[in-house]
Amino acid sequence: MATFELYRRSTIGMCLTETLDEMVSNGTLSPELAIQVLVQFDKSMTDALESQVKSKVTIKGHLHTYRFCDNVWTFILQDATFKNDEINDTVNRVKIVACDSKLLSQ
Amino acid sequence: MASNVSRVYIEVIDDVVGKVRDEFINYGAGEAVLNELQSLWEMKMVQMGAISGNIERPAAASRQPGQVNPVHDLNVPYEGPTEEYETPTAEMLFPPTPLQTPIQTPLPGMEQGMYNIPTGPSDYAPSPLSDMRNGVDMKAPRNNHYMQPPSPWMAARPLGVDVNVAYVEGREDANREAPHQPATQMVQMQDFFTAPTGKRKRDEFPSQMPPGSYNMPQQDGSSDAIIEFEVSNSSLQVDRRHEKATGKGAKECSSIPQRDGIDDEYESLFPLTPAPAEDYNNVVQTPAEHVELRAPTPVVAVGTPKPTPIAAGDDEEPPLNEDDDDDDDLDDLEQGEEEPTTQHLVLAQFDKVTRTKNRWKCTLKDGIMHLHSRDILFNKAMGEFDF
Repeated sequence: MATFELYRRSTIGMCLTETLDEMVSNGTLSPELAIQVLVQFDKSMTDALESQVKSKVTIKGHLHTYRFCDNVWTFILQDATFKNDEINDTVNRVKIVACDSKLLSQ
Repeated sequence: MASNVSRVYIEVIDDVVGKVRDEFINYGAGEAVLNELQSLWEMKMVQMGAISGNIERPAAASRQPGQVNPVHDLNVPYEGPTEEYETPTAEMLFPPTPLQTPIQTPLPGMEQGMYNIPTGPSDYAPSPLSDMRNGVDMKAPRNNHYMQPPSPWMAARPLGVDVNVAYVEGREDANREAPHQPATQMVQMQDFFTAPTGKRKRDEFPSQMPPGSYNMPQQDGSSDAIIEFEVSNSSLQVDRRHEKATGKGAKECSSIPQRDGIDDEYESLFPLTPAPAEDYNNVVQTPAEHVELRAPTPVVAVGTPKPTPIAAGDDEEPPLNEDDDDDDDLDDLEQGEEEPTTQHLVLAQFDKVTRTKNRWKCTLKDGIMHLHSRDILFNKAMGEFDF
């Protein structure tokens, strides 16, 4: 099963990579195992988002930059509004990175 | 921090820890290391505010580092399918069997590189869309160049009385046929090629002009002139004057096509063509008369040998938006610098991305948003952007 390494940039992913970095650099963990953990994180995060999360969001904003490279869309929005039943956030600048969902099902 | 985000994160942590446990044991790292990993991970998450400080998970208390759960063996049959998502309780209590083998990963031992994801800010690659757009832009001016816009003439028609027009036309033909027989034939040939309307014949007088200038937008000036002359008097002399007038028009046209020089200019905007340099040299080296003849052009050519952003900004109708790329690159750089401070980020998968004109619509799913230093998860997201 293919996985995205995309979510490693999220808070939880960054925390994990930092942890692994520390443990690898102080010798408690082998790099091979660290990679295994990261791969498992990719899977678990994808699964959890798929099965545990139900909320829907609408995003509106001014598209400052778009880019489609290596099956990854990158959008940089200005004055973007994020809405769902809980939140109504406006940010002056946000970056959206999205991988092709079809690649996962392959 | 929404509590459900915290809950999902905890479940992910538990899931990961539960599923790599066998790897740890196989590698001889032991559970202590794994538990250290987990506690470090959770600690960092709490520090980041991504999960709430008191992690309430049902079986957390029963799970101590290195401690083997006595119930473990009894429940072995239950732990089979590790492919699908398991509730944290089951996982914590019963580590999965070594069924699953993680996929092959890149070289071990790369300290920095191993966490890289390919989705980072990469070099700009022009998308097919923009290419297409450029193609269209490229064609637009040329089409204008070749197509005789019939509209000015058609628009002019209602101004004059129809009867006059018909009358003029007949006479014109008579005049024309006597002295300029060959010219007329040429005219007709051209007519044929350019597939004119019947009324267009009148415009063919300037056919004695050099063929290159045939494409000038002569309708505006000359057709007006025709109406004037032909309504007032109808002598051969007039005809000649008319020719002169159109000849003048031709001369004008020889300068007007240089405004077609938008084309040249446009081409010189391409970074690969050496056109700008050439133009520049021409301007410097040409004899004075030549410069005089082409007076309008060199100014333009000098002005635009190098498409600086400033020039593009001043240009009222920039032929291309290629400079935008540069701007974007700059912006990207800027943004890369300021990213640590204002890091709003959405990581997701896209189902569909569409564009009509400057309206972009995209459907995303399974996303993590990091806005105002808090995390929000979504299952689906609809994005509507205007570019």
